Amino acid sequence: MEKRAIFSSKLLPYLLLAPQLAITLIFFYWPASQAVKESFYIQDAFGTTSDFVGFDNYKSLFEDPYYFHAMGVTAVFAAVVTAASLSIALLLAVQADRVVRGATVYRTLLVWPYAVAPAVAGVLWVFLFQPSLGILAHALQRMGYDWNPTLNGGQALALVMVAAVWKQISYNFLFFLAGLQSIPKSLIEAAAIDGAHRARRFWTIVFPLLSPTTFFLVVVNIVYVFFDTFGIIDSVTGGGPAKATETLVYKVYQDGKLGADLGGSNAQSVILMIIVIALTSIQFRYVERKVTY
Amino acid sequence: MAGVLLDRVEKTYPGGFNAVKGISFAVPDGGFCVLVGPSGCGKSTLLRMIAGLETITGGQVRIGERVVNDIEPMGRDIAMVFQNYALYPHMSVYDNMAYGLRNLKTPEPEILSRVQEAAKILELNDEMLKRKPRQLSGGQRQRVAMGRAIVRKPAVFLFDEPLSNLDAKLRVQMRIEIRKLQRRLKTTSIYVTHDQLEAMTLADMLVVMNAGRVEQVGAPLELYERPATAFVAGFLGSPPMNFLNGRVEKPGVLRLGDGTELAYDPAHFTATSGAEIQAGVRPERIIFSKDGSGIPFKLELVEELGLGQLVHGVLADASFTVALPAGVHAPVGDAQRVTIAPDAVHLFDRKTGARL
Repeated sequence: MEKRAIFSSKLLPYLLLAPQLAITLIFFYWPASQAVKESFYIQDAFGTTSDFVGFDNYKSLFEDPYYFHAMGVTAVFAAVVTAASLSIALLLAVQADRVVRGATVYRTLLVWPYAVAPAVAGVLWVFLFQPSLGILAHALQRMGYDWNPTLNGGQALALVMVAAVWKQISYNFLFFLAGLQSIPKSLIEAAAIDGAHRARRFWTIVFPLLSPTTFFLVVVNIVYVFFDTFGIIDSVTGGGPAKATETLVYKVYQDGKLGADLGGSNAQSVILMIIVIALTSIQFRYVERKVTY
Repeated sequence: MAGVLLDRVEKTYPGGFNAVKGISFAVPDGGFCVLVGPSGCGKSTLLRMIAGLETITGGQVRIGERVVNDIEPMGRDIAMVFQNYALYPHMSVYDNMAYGLRNLKTPEPEILSRVQEAAKILELNDEMLKRKPRQLSGGQRQRVAMGRAIVRKPAVFLFDEPLSNLDAKLRVQMRIEIRKLQRRLKTTSIYVTHDQLEAMTLADMLVVMNAGRVEQVGAPLELYERPATAFVAGFLGSPPMNFLNGRVEKPGVLRLGDGTELAYDPAHFTATSGAEIQAGVRPERIIFSKDGSGIPFKLELVEELGLGQLVHGVLADASFTVALPAGVHAPVGDAQRVTIAPDAVHLFDRKTGARL
């Protein structure tokens, strides 16, 4: 069904688009172009002068071992958080889909963590796992586990991951639940009559039919890990200990805001921007072609 | 191959709604049974209970010698064709048909030969087997759904309104194909529809349902000619039977609401004089009288069907339809008279609707 509005004047459509375009221009294109521009300049410590240096900022970035370290941390972080939050959300959605009584209450409770601000979520997990105060930290220590995320980088990364996963499950859950509910019940019934057991029905019918949702969520979750986990990292570990939880976006903040290396920081954010544009275009290109059935 | 036996089958939902109220009938091995009734009469629920998709809250369902009440759908040796076909959209037509066999761990060469055999019966060519369901037309999808059912060679086929998503022309064609296929395979079939014409043409055995109960079971023509209740009489046949309220004046004579007399055959009915009745007359059993005898009929509208004419009007204060065969034309003018043969009149109890 095609719906086309016919405008008698040429001005009106532009006027109607103007607010949206203005917001995009002011809050996206302008800062983005500034970042691209700044990434080619180097500023002195007081911000009084800036000199054009070409690709020097990028060059020094790729000579910086910490940058590759941040890349590695981000990759591990993205892979683990995406895989864990998607699998747990799918498991919960499959269970929620079967709930008959109190379904709305159950679903609402599962969606709540999404409404918690990242920094608040971070603080919550800090309290739970703080080596001397947290109850879960005490439980771990009592079991004989040497728990101290403020000193142990691996533990710190694990803690940040848990918080990030916890926060993202709700979002993924909602999409999976909607996806599950849009699968016609008769398909599952037909498979049951065709002799497929529960697990087989899930892997041969339900899971393939959910693949567009899954693919969409993979991209959204990677973007989430790249950018939106900043608040959690900042409140839980501050990137430490010893840069063990420093992701790309956290390094942008560290180098730019704290290290006052505006040019280098901008170069990093331009690279991040390219990564996200690539991810998003992959999503747009494939989500409607390859993954659909 | 197996017959299906239903013994006082009940369905009560957790909320207390009683959808199926004690239904018993037996479908012989190889028989084609059609469950027909208006929407909400419980026919689909009953079929889903036979399939194992709904729990049975009372009574027994037997397939062959086995009571299947507590057996999962996959263990019942049945196949079902759904109203929306329920084809797996992400699988090719071949994989759709092979799915059930693969679940049974059938060796691939046998799957191939069985799918090809089914495809041949259903006139699906090799190129179509490679397609995805969305690349097929409605009629082709219907065939694939049937193919998926027949490759498994089940004891019973269940059909849940399989033709209602097709256009009228295709529906007639597929109806004939289903009947031919069932004759050829001789597999016991239970078919649900709300379309009385589909029911009449397909069934060996017709089960008319209403409000969770069986109204009548029998051969289609038997139900048409000797309906056990006014409901069955009104449900089967198109245009439907005409109903007139009246009282038995004396054996063989009815007095209708407006005082006119109508004769019936007293040998077939046990109505006592003075009984309040509902008289039913099939539209095709009425003729217009040319000599001024018969019952007054006020003609209101003539519908031309090509196959004949439908004449709508009023008789004894009730709306009344007369069906005329091709070549016979409705008389001109609105004041007419009709003759109704006594053996064309059915009598039903006005309160219970039961045949007298």
